[in-house]
Amino acid sequence: MRAPIPREDDFRSRLRSPAVAARIGLWLGICFGVAFLTGLISHYAQQPHQPLPFPTRPSWGYRVTQGLHVVAGTAAVPLLLVKLWTVFPKLFSRPPRRLAELLLHGAERVSIAVLVAAAIFQLSTGLANTAQWYPWSFHFRATHYAIGWVAIGALLVHVAVKLPLIRSALASDLDSDALDRPGTARAAGVLSRRGLLRTTWGAAGIATLATAGVSVPWLRQVSVLGVRSGAGPQDVPINKSAASAGVLATATSATYRLTVRAGGRSMSFSLSDLQAMRQTTASLPIACVEGWSAGATWTGVPVRDLLDRVGAPVGSDVTVTSLQRSGPFRVTTLPANFADDRRSLVAIELGGQPLSIDHGFPCRLIAPDRPGVLQTKWLKSLEVDA
Amino acid sequence: MIRVALLGAGLSAAAYGGLLLARRGWANLEATLTWLIGGVVIHDAVLAPVTLAVAWTALRLVRRERLAPWAVGVVLLAPLTLLAIPVLGRFGARSDNPTLLDRNYWAGWCGLVLVVVVGILVARLAERRQRSRVPVPEPVPVEGGAHGPRDGGR
Repeated sequence: MRAPIPREDDFRSRLRSPAVAARIGLWLGICFGVAFLTGLISHYAQQPHQPLPFPTRPSWGYRVTQGLHVVAGTAAVPLLLVKLWTVFPKLFSRPPRRLAELLLHGAERVSIAVLVAAAIFQLSTGLANTAQWYPWSFHFRATHYAIGWVAIGALLVHVAVKLPLIRSALASDLDSDALDRPGTARAAGVLSRRGLLRTTWGAAGIATLATAGVSVPWLRQVSVLGVRSGAGPQDVPINKSAASAGVLATATSATYRLTVRAGGRSMSFSLSDLQAMRQTTASLPIACVEGWSAGATWTGVPVRDLLDRVGAPVGSDVTVTSLQRSGPFRVTTLPANFADDRRSLVAIELGGQPLSIDHGFPCRLIAPDRPGVLQTKWLKSLEVDA
Repeated sequence: MIRVALLGAGLSAAAYGGLLLARRGWANLEATLTWLIGGVVIHDAVLAPVTLAVAWTALRLVRRERLAPWAVGVVLLAPLTLLAIPVLGRFGARSDNPTLLDRNYWAGWCGLVLVVVVGILVARLAERRQRSRVPVPEPVPVEGGAHGPRDGGR
């Protein structure tokens, strides 16, 4: 009678070899590294107070890094699943008898458990977030960030533990048996090792092509699983509608005024006041934290020109407030280097037409290289504290 | 030396992440732990056994030499289907925002399945044609024949 739980050497496939695992692991590690670094960039860009100012150039920097963040995470799904398949027998390895070895074995297994849990967590919550699906009660942004550190830390520990094995696996031939577990079959099974690797790269490629159109315009037709087709009012998708922000009445009111204040000096601008000022047109992407982005042409008044009217000194951080009733981004900070950039606009037109209500009518902020959630719509006030 | 540095950096990064998580309070931590553990349980206790069962069944239904295209199809499509769950289910759709989840995702998914299936068929056909054209110089030993009937398919 056999025990219901399998043993490590019950798994005999030639594909479940360190030679395969190391090669997939390398690319999985690269994907996690890219996602971690681009995640750090996004986190930093959203900090209201930055010791080193986030750059305003290139204007597409945030768009590209956040597109990469989601692409790396999406490509990592097939890589992670195949990687876990190749090392699955390890789950059933017998603990050693001697205490010192047992402790080491236990520590390694804990680190693997943390790594697998954090990796699955990051990919599943990240993917759900791109589709704005939040079936959990934890705070997504803070938790995804925290577990990002846990995942990259556990990955580094894993690489430290396995480094000699990784090195010899990558240096030796893919079909070498030298590093295989005892009992691994010598003859090819259903797929060859090369066949499995090629298929895995293919799976990562298809996953990328099927979704990347949300940030790569020429892939839009191909990305049949993309969260957005790219369509929307004035050919630009939206994240928050005017209805959900509760601004339908206030934004269209005849008494609407944009307040600009520096210290004790304050001025009010109606939409026609803004239209009467010298207009600047800039091509700037709107790039969301969730990875989608779109390029667009915006026309309006440079933020700096409005600040000059109330005598706000160059180099001032600006507090930007929206008409929206609530939400974590109702009040945000526009750092001084962004406020002073001539391409940072209080935009009143998109693609040559007045802003639609869902794009922030009567006026919105649009600045280069800035997270979409901080491109405040339905502007209420710009304020500089003396 | 490199390994010590990696270990040190890894432990510090993970500890920092743990600290950030702890700062969010107990309720947040509890919900996070549920998802952390749930993900591992879903993989180890559901996905992995199902994969084993599918492979086990396939090996008994189809001759081993004919299974390769099926295996390729599963590796290409199973992860793709898992990562499409949020869009296929349209769980995040909102009536006030028609620009979100605005494709027919089931049609797209069927299209991808069709492309993969056709791709595999074409590759098989090309392979067969090539094999029938090139004369085999000497008899090729049957793969895996000397090692018993089922070594390696698990």
